[in-house]
Amino acid sequence: MSQNISKLSGRKGLENNLFEKITAFAEQQKAPTGDDMGVLAKEFFVGKSTIAASTTFYDFLSEEHLNKQALVCNGSACLCAGTQERVKAKLAKKVAEDEIGHITCLGRCHENSSFQLNGKNYSGDAIDHLDEILDDASQHQTAQYQTAQYQTDSYDITSDGPALLTAEFSDIEKIKHQIQQFLNRTPEQLVEEMKVSNLRGRGGAGFPAGMKWESCKSVVGEEKYIVCNADEGDPGAYSDRYLLEQQTYRVLFGMLAAGYIVGAQYGVVYIRAEYPESIAATQQAIEALEANRLLGENILGSGFNFKFKIVKGAGAYICGEETALIASIEGRRPEVDIRPPFPTVEGLFKKPTVLNNVETFAAVPAIFELGGAEFVKIGSEHSSGTKLLCLDGLFNKPGLLEVPMGMPLRKVIDDLGGGFAKPAKAIHIGGPLGGLVPVSKIDDLTVDFESFAKQGFLLGHGSIVCVPEDFSLIVYIEHLFAFTEAESCGKCFPCRLGSTRGKEMLQRAISGKEKLDPELFDDLLDTMQQASLCALGGGLPLPIKNALQYFEDELSDYFVAEKMAPVGSVG
Amino acid sequence: MKALDNIEVAAAYVDGKAFEITPGETILNFTKRTIGEKQVPTLCDDPRLKPYGACRVCSVEVALKADGPVKTIASCHTPVTAGMHVFTQTDSLQKLRKNIIELVISDHPLDCLTCEVNGNCQLQDVAADVGLRDVRYGNGDNHLSREKDSSHAYMRMDLAKCINCARCVRACDEIQGSFVLGMEGRGFESKIIKDNDLLFGDSSCVSCGACAETCPTAAITDRFQSKALQADNTVRTTCSYCGVGCNLEVSVRNNEVQSIRAPWDAEVNQGHTCLKGRYAFRFYNHPDRLRTPLIRQGSKFVEATWDEAYDFIANKLEKISKNNGPDSIAGISSSRCTNEENYLMQKFIRAVIGTNNIDCCARVCHSPTAWGMQQSFGTGAATNSIEDIKYTDCMVVIGANPTAAHPVTGAKIKQQAMAGSTLIVIDPVKTELAELADYHLQLRPGTNVAMLNLMLHFIVTEGLADEQFVKTRCEDYDLFKKQILNIDVEAMAEVAGVSADLAKEAALAYANANNAMSFHGLGVTEHSQGAKTVMLIANLAMITGNIGRAGVGVNPLRGQNNVQGAADMGCQPHQGAGYLEVMEKETQDYYANAYGVASPTTEGKKIPEMFDAAIAGDLKAIWIMGEDVAQTDPNTAHVIKALTNLDLLVVQEIFFTETAKLADVILPGASFLEKNGTFTNGERRIQRVQAVVPPLSGSKADGDIMVEIMNRMGYQQPAYAPGTMLEEISRVVPFFAGVTWQNLGDHGLQWPVLKGGVDTKILHSKDFKRGKGKFHYFDFEETTELLDNAASFPFILTTGRNLEHYNAGTMTRRTHNAAIVDKDILLINPKDAKAKGIHTGDAARLFSDRGEVEIIVEVSKKIKPGVLFTTFHFPEFMVNNVTSNVVDSETMCPEYKVVAVDVERLAARKSA
Repeated sequence: MSQNISKLSGRKGLENNLFEKITAFAEQQKAPTGDDMGVLAKEFFVGKSTIAASTTFYDFLSEEHLNKQALVCNGSACLCAGTQERVKAKLAKKVAEDEIGHITCLGRCHENSSFQLNGKNYSGDAIDHLDEILDDASQHQTAQYQTAQYQTDSYDITSDGPALLTAEFSDIEKIKHQIQQFLNRTPEQLVEEMKVSNLRGRGGAGFPAGMKWESCKSVVGEEKYIVCNADEGDPGAYSDRYLLEQQTYRVLFGMLAAGYIVGAQYGVVYIRAEYPESIAATQQAIEALEANRLLGENILGSGFNFKFKIVKGAGAYICGEETALIASIEGRRPEVDIRPPFPTVEGLFKKPTVLNNVETFAAVPAIFELGGAEFVKIGSEHSSGTKLLCLDGLFNKPGLLEVPMGMPLRKVIDDLGGGFAKPAKAIHIGGPLGGLVPVSKIDDLTVDFESFAKQGFLLGHGSIVCVPEDFSLIVYIEHLFAFTEAESCGKCFPCRLGSTRGKEMLQRAISGKEKLDPELFDDLLDTMQQASLCALGGGLPLPIKNALQYFEDELSDYFVAEKMAPVGSVG
Repeated sequence: MKALDNIEVAAAYVDGKAFEITPGETILNFTKRTIGEKQVPTLCDDPRLKPYGACRVCSVEVALKADGPVKTIASCHTPVTAGMHVFTQTDSLQKLRKNIIELVISDHPLDCLTCEVNGNCQLQDVAADVGLRDVRYGNGDNHLSREKDSSHAYMRMDLAKCINCARCVRACDEIQGSFVLGMEGRGFESKIIKDNDLLFGDSSCVSCGACAETCPTAAITDRFQSKALQADNTVRTTCSYCGVGCNLEVSVRNNEVQSIRAPWDAEVNQGHTCLKGRYAFRFYNHPDRLRTPLIRQGSKFVEATWDEAYDFIANKLEKISKNNGPDSIAGISSSRCTNEENYLMQKFIRAVIGTNNIDCCARVCHSPTAWGMQQSFGTGAATNSIEDIKYTDCMVVIGANPTAAHPVTGAKIKQQAMAGSTLIVIDPVKTELAELADYHLQLRPGTNVAMLNLMLHFIVTEGLADEQFVKTRCEDYDLFKKQILNIDVEAMAEVAGVSADLAKEAALAYANANNAMSFHGLGVTEHSQGAKTVMLIANLAMITGNIGRAGVGVNPLRGQNNVQGAADMGCQPHQGAGYLEVMEKETQDYYANAYGVASPTTEGKKIPEMFDAAIAGDLKAIWIMGEDVAQTDPNTAHVIKALTNLDLLVVQEIFFTETAKLADVILPGASFLEKNGTFTNGERRIQRVQAVVPPLSGSKADGDIMVEIMNRMGYQQPAYAPGTMLEEISRVVPFFAGVTWQNLGDHGLQWPVLKGGVDTKILHSKDFKRGKGKFHYFDFEETTELLDNAASFPFILTTGRNLEHYNAGTMTRRTHNAAIVDKDILLINPKDAKAKGIHTGDAARLFSDRGEVEIIVEVSKKIKPGVLFTTFHFPEFMVNNVTSNVVDSETMCPEYKVVAVDVERLAARKSA
């Protein structure tokens, strides 16, 4: 939370971006030296410590990571699928053991067995073709096309209801026409359209986008930013990846519209480095828009100027939190900042900023096309529009779904997903911080924010990971604690210390060293839930409490006998 | 609970009781204000820093309406809103806070009883407050084996005791603005680092101590263990280094100074200070301190009693006065001493000796400021207050390096610039602020008049003059305008070595700002056109209407702690206490009435005139209080010649300085830690100086010495006590009218102080002191130093201070600061270095028409080709051997800043 560093970084802004200069070291496969840091510090008037604090935060800038040739996905879906031991073993035959590391979620949750090798992502049966992949990489560094077949993944894209996000949207002439149409209207009319649509933010929190945009619009300021949160870090989620790669124009269109509405001139797409394909696709789309003069100065003669910049992450889940994401772009240590001030007032470089999720921006073309009044009719009473859901590899029909909000979850699981490929006891919806829904509760839920909240769960970003019957829940919740510990920014005390202590308690219980003290465990969960600064430490207790509530029988063995942890009340 | 409907003012409830809210305040501040400090515990909060929200211990429960749903939130960063119900002490909150502290203690050593800050530790306090007894988490991962870092001269770091609240990182950033500290890594492995994880001693730390000051535990401390509860008592006083006037809180045990901290409530420095104020105090009882009067016998000094010394001096002075008249005697007072001591010194010279030959070290620093601003405005003092920095949109810093020489003010300027105010720096050196500046006009030393004329010219030509202000508040503008329009822009830009376009941009930025503030230092005054430059700075403020409200004005950064006060008290030959012109009959009567003796009626001598008169044989005796003229005044050979030609040289000093070595009598004075009185800082703030320890055995407070000699010479001066002294001064000095020892309080008062104690933060808000602000025009004139010597000595040497040492270094060299910086260094531009075959670390001979010195060189881009820069803190390197006799045309302030020199390599760097 350094206003000074934000503003000093802002002096150079996006054109000569501090974070980009820091991550450039990762591109060169090296960590910056003290001298390198000194040069950057001098250029940006900050301290070497500023550069060091940022650099050492990210996985991809760590010495440890830079030495790795292969990275095995350890996200929830691959973990539950049980594919990763095999992946690791197979890799170990080709790659030195100490050059194999891990990475959390490559967004290949639909086919699992995910790993990254020499900077390229693979999944599914690619692990069985290591010879070809490596042979190709070693002999034909540039001839990537030969391994392309192993790099690509494929998944079903199913729309049940209006296809607002998944319908074809790539004809540049049509896009041009649609841009022209909104440029013909006033920002006031458009923000009203957004408000009428009642589009709620798809990042998980569900805040009405129109209100956010109106708030930013009302702040006086010549310099404003639109930031797209494409740091899709939730293990199990790949819907943003889908949108970035296959519906890129929808996302960019939404950002462009936001820029026009609030008076911003610059859009930043912050894409996680784990998604190289998404970065490439977005870059391509931006170039196409530029080539068609749909970006830059005086777009379509409207007087409106706008340009895009892609900022590539460097491996830190917390950057999906909006204040950390802004800090990241600024080159600050991406720890979570307090709110208020909200980004709409003091965002990127302390300038008014609209920051939304990929899926939120992607919904805008449909809203403009249909009109807010029509859009709001789609979905449920309080959750309008459609929602993307990601089904993991344990479904009979894994893949991406677009469903109208309010659809019964049963229909998603059984009909659209084709049911579980192997018996499951719970589904983890909404990422690691989402609710752990026992299969018995499926019938009580519909796909919308209210239903999940009412039942004590969280729709979140809409990823669905199955926990098989035979998968130990204590191991699963230890995985969630370990994930939180690894990804905690470390700023707030409950998350930094609590995630470590919780993980240790669970590890001792799993190993049989020491059973869990239910009172202490409960205190720990309450402390994290009530007092954490952001949704990471604050959200983790939800699935754990769900597990304690619904799987008491399975978990009670791990607790000191007298009493089971009292479960928190639902809601 | 009361119903909200009954509330008429915006109010919120704390634990059921309604209180009025202040717009924008946080819940934490709301509770502090209404139910008291520490009712809501915190660890990461420091009221001087921005809310951060890390520890979460300050969590409270909040309902937005009576009996509404309750949410737990951190109070430190949540704004209070009308109708809010805040609960601070529920059972679940107590439990939550206890649980958080339990987590903290699970990674914290349990060695309170042997810990340095035992009893003065916020973690300990909060843990006790929440009732934590044991930690249930068992043996987990921890950081208890982290090693203590004692590599630094002052700073200590023991990260085993760190709770990761980041207060140190934020203090380094938000207060000091140095970014030395950072938080490395993430999550449980996050760790405080210095630079890129260097040891303190190897880092770029500026030792301000802000981190140790704010650290809630013993994770960051200092070599003096200043947070340990070891003191018998603490005394609040005022720092004796620069003119910022930081308040200090000094801990004493067994009559010895243990450590110094800065009070957080201080209006001047808000708990901040620099390494000089906080850590450089060990000079005060250094073995080198003078502990007995000494009288010269031949080439030796012999110890004497005070009586013997006084008798010796009194006899000599009486004889000299009788034989040569009182005007053959002179006094040089000290800006390092208190107002009361300065007042006594000038009173002694004027009323007891009977001459106006009194001057002080302001002569060699800010005399052009005092004089110049008097010509323009009528008052020779800063027009505004340092707190105004918060309200300004544009700052122009001229010939000053405040982050080194006025660190607390420098830090505030830097903060305001980082926050977005425009910063213009006019300086031949690329200072820290120049690096950060929006406009750095890196002019050739000695061309300030050319540069300011350019800026004034563009303000007029671009139509940015504030015609209304100029018309109603100023005079002589039309003539000035005519002259300024006539300047040769290209020629002046050429002279200054700065493009006219850049000067124009900077001028427009200053003129277009809503509120623009100027600061200047000795880079303005110590020139042959020093006083003229000051008047042009005054023009800049007047022509843009930047006078008389918050966030504007002309603000000289006074170099010494009491340089303002020494002049206020009359330690200058032409004006007596309170700036009354001594050559005027009315004034002479006024002082005759005040002092009870006839006033001298002949003109007094300025310091350079004293030296000339001594060499000529007209001046026979000089009494110098607390000033080392032999080291600090220009052209050392000339000074020594003068001092050795006297019949009597009395030196009142705390150390055996270069000047003391030449004395006939040395009187051991006392340091600021041993005396009572007042200092007046650069914003006219009169602040208390309070004795922390008694004067070192054998020495005396300088005020006592003055009183004793006055009485010895037959003048009835009551014993020295600040209360009674201020009473006398307030009767003599008009703008001290309302000052009493009592009403100065902890924060002092800014003069003019009216009867009753009403003080003045901003001068000239309605009218100027002199009525109308007066415009002056001056042509740029090349200094004779260059006209005469540049052909033979092609480089220009300019000088300045560094952060670690203070002027002649008399004090700072006798502290651990000398372990941080142990020599003066000559900076030379790479282009010149190459031509001269000089490398960093080489020894070089620096020589001028007057003399030569040997110095170690550093190749640096901080200066342009043709310019050399050095500091002047170490007597081994007598830079004044090379400086000249050229002085300011109006005030005789020496031209230290432009010296024609040449340089040649002596020897390669010795390998380490």
